[in-house]
Amino acid sequence: MMHIGTGLVCGTKIRDMVQAGFHFIIFLADWHSMINNKFGGDMEKIETAGEYFKHCFTALGLTEDKVEYIWASDLAEKANYWERVIRVAKTTTAQRVMRALPILGRDLKTQEAADIFEMSLDLACAGIDQRKAHVLAREAGEKLRWGKPVALHTPMLMGLAGIQGSEKGSYDEDPKLSSVIAAKMSKSKPENTILLHDSPELIEEKLRKAYCPPKIVEGNPVIEYYRLLAFPTNQTVALNRDQKYGGDLEFSTYKELEEAYKTGKIHPQDLKSNMARILAGLLKGVREYFDKHPEPLDQMQKLEAK
Amino acid sequence: MSQQQRLELVTKGTVEIMQPAELERVLEEKKKPRAYWGFECSGKQPA
Repeated sequence: MMHIGTGLVCGTKIRDMVQAGFHFIIFLADWHSMINNKFGGDMEKIETAGEYFKHCFTALGLTEDKVEYIWASDLAEKANYWERVIRVAKTTTAQRVMRALPILGRDLKTQEAADIFEMSLDLACAGIDQRKAHVLAREAGEKLRWGKPVALHTPMLMGLAGIQGSEKGSYDEDPKLSSVIAAKMSKSKPENTILLHDSPELIEEKLRKAYCPPKIVEGNPVIEYYRLLAFPTNQTVALNRDQKYGGDLEFSTYKELEEAYKTGKIHPQDLKSNMARILAGLLKGVREYFDKHPEPLDQMQKLEAK
Repeated sequence: MSQQQRLELVTKGTVEIMQPAELERVLEEKKKPRAYWGFECSGKQPA
């Protein structure tokens, strides 16, 4: 199921890009998923998941009149696409490709680079954990004289458990980046993530259990969600609070909110309950969309239940 | 929308642009540049 890292961080950025005049392609990498043996390499299941993703982005306002949806399998059908993949691979040493094989597993960076050139892109977006693929694409583009795509990287969204001291991983040579990737919304831990389809009650419950140390901002996922999810989509952010605890507050910048939290003017519980309300609001349109179109969600749930 | 507004909208909330000068050139030269985001079709999604 799609989590809010994909839905809200990517969704918001794509909306920005469309507004800035980009022709934006949401690329459904079914072929790559097949190579990566997702759903046992069963193309039918992979396509069901892709359709579900398309519905999620549509529900987030990225309708087909605003963005173009392209399936990787449509590119892979063309003979010259595979020539591109091989030519990109030849620009780099085998060791280099192995290093670029990310991070969380098995992906074909050469193919991602080929996708970029096949679609004549000026710019490629991804989470910061995918930057090596773009470095490879830029170098290959230069060597092959196919042009160098601009790369845009978004932050990873921390999971609800946050980053607590000893947390580290071996996802990247850069230990800081590695810990961020380690703490990102991982779907392997359902209690650690908020899904696009979580009910307001479930969001509240999950946030209640979230890591949120008083006055501390580092590694605190709740305040991080204000920075990455609440402020980018709102001019001002209001915190509703019981009169006896000081009443409502309003902030026009993230920095002001951060200062107030650091100095203990906001209690973690108020930070959490208001984030639950804000997230439920941001996801309202998605809930309504899937109430009207339950089929793609049902199918995805069936796939994931297996 | 001015070039500056477009640039701000694109860079807002990002952690890295490779390279900012190249992005500015793309925005100057093209009214409708082409961009993408790829998503694997699986349960697991890099955010």
